[in-house]
Amino acid sequence: MKPIDRFEYPEELQPDYAKAKKLEWITVAYLLSTALLVYLTMGNSQAMKTAWFEDMLSLTPAVSFLIASRVFHKAPNKNFPYGYHRVVSIAYLCSAVALFSVGAFLIFDSATTLVKQEHATIGIKVIFGHEVWLGYLMMAVMLYGTFPALILGRMKLPLAIKLHEKNLYTDAAMNKADWMTAAAAILGIAGIGLGWWWADAVAALLISLDIIKDGYTNLKQAVFDLMSESPKKVENQQDDPLLQQVNELLKKQEWIKEFAFRMREEGHIYLGEGFVVPASEQELVSRIEQVSQEVENLSWRIQEFVLMPVQEIPMTTAEK
Amino acid sequence: MMPSHIKQLFFLPVFLLLLSGCGQFPKDPEKTLEQVTNGTLHVGYSENPPWVVKGPGGPTGSEPDLVKAFAKSINATIQWQNDTEQNLLENLEKNKLHLVIAGITEDSPWRNKIAFTRPYAQVGKKKHVFCVIKGENAFLVKLEKFLHQQQSTLETRLKP
Repeated sequence: MKPIDRFEYPEELQPDYAKAKKLEWITVAYLLSTALLVYLTMGNSQAMKTAWFEDMLSLTPAVSFLIASRVFHKAPNKNFPYGYHRVVSIAYLCSAVALFSVGAFLIFDSATTLVKQEHATIGIKVIFGHEVWLGYLMMAVMLYGTFPALILGRMKLPLAIKLHEKNLYTDAAMNKADWMTAAAAILGIAGIGLGWWWADAVAALLISLDIIKDGYTNLKQAVFDLMSESPKKVENQQDDPLLQQVNELLKKQEWIKEFAFRMREEGHIYLGEGFVVPASEQELVSRIEQVSQEVENLSWRIQEFVLMPVQEIPMTTAEK
Repeated sequence: MMPSHIKQLFFLPVFLLLLSGCGQFPKDPEKTLEQVTNGTLHVGYSENPPWVVKGPGGPTGSEPDLVKAFAKSINATIQWQNDTEQNLLENLEKNKLHLVIAGITEDSPWRNKIAFTRPYAQVGKKKHVFCVIKGENAFLVKLEKFLHQQQSTLETRLKP
């Protein structure tokens, strides 16, 4: 049996991957610092508990990325003959669940506030003898919650697509959720200051719809990836054009009369099998070896492509 | 979609500046402060010596003294109402009172139904608060600022 290779990103992508890891460490530190600031301004109020819960949830993608990054490149062994690539898909699932939960939690929390007509109470805080309306402090903290998250998220998007890192992509969506909730909170607190008790909840409710949409899309894709759906692009849920390239490459071979193939995604990489009905059996073994090598050379993402000569195409294979 | 969001964010500070320019901030959703200033302040009290002591001529003790001084500062006349803590706080929740005093401390389980002021004094481990209507932030801020200004005189007075 041909062992599955130990996977590392190709040389040219190594710096991008290192950058992604660095960004995730910065994200963890940044989110912890916002949590601390929120704690210092809001003490043990209900608003603080909500914000803290959200901060902890939004740490999930970054943390799961960093954990997965220590596991996925391990060499296959007797117990894990396919390697450890799927850990990336599992991390993606965790992140998607966290993103979806943030959205769901926000909807629930703000809807309860509106239904129960809970009026947010914001008094003063005394800082070095000065009486400051706590609302201003909260807005300042929330401002710290917007711009860094916005920038971090924007920096992650191109890397996620390059590295085929759906988990990183979800983390960018989480950063978007973070800065949008913070911005909504600033408007909401300003609204409370104007005497609109519902302002904060309405702002959060509007934002949560966007978050839950992102969360649902990614949650669905993460589950489908684990169910070995055919490979999809990182930035949307469309077929990877690489599948078309494989199709064309197989079609070009004159010695192949008929073929069918299937592929699945395991984290960053794809594994697949092709079934071919050879026109002639001359030099069959070397031809098979050559074509499967050519398929694997199409992209670093195709980690292994096994070709199997058959008398006729099995009915079950999907791609043709 | 993102770039337009970024642009919108830059308007925030401008928006906030505009906000701070327009009178009373924060405001009360139910206009409590507006109603009691030069009007009547409805205060519930429940006996809890030495904080609140029931007397023939109305309540005495450190908390009624503070309330009287606060009412004077906003030119309000006080309408006292004596009842059990339970009844008073239920009335406060229904906005039938503006303020309740009963020697209540910050760890009271009522904190979810009504709002507390920030602790105005600490005796031992107990942090003492007044009870107000939830979300009436202008009134709350006014009262909290008043209590903060009394703090230094209060703490010398409360020392055993």
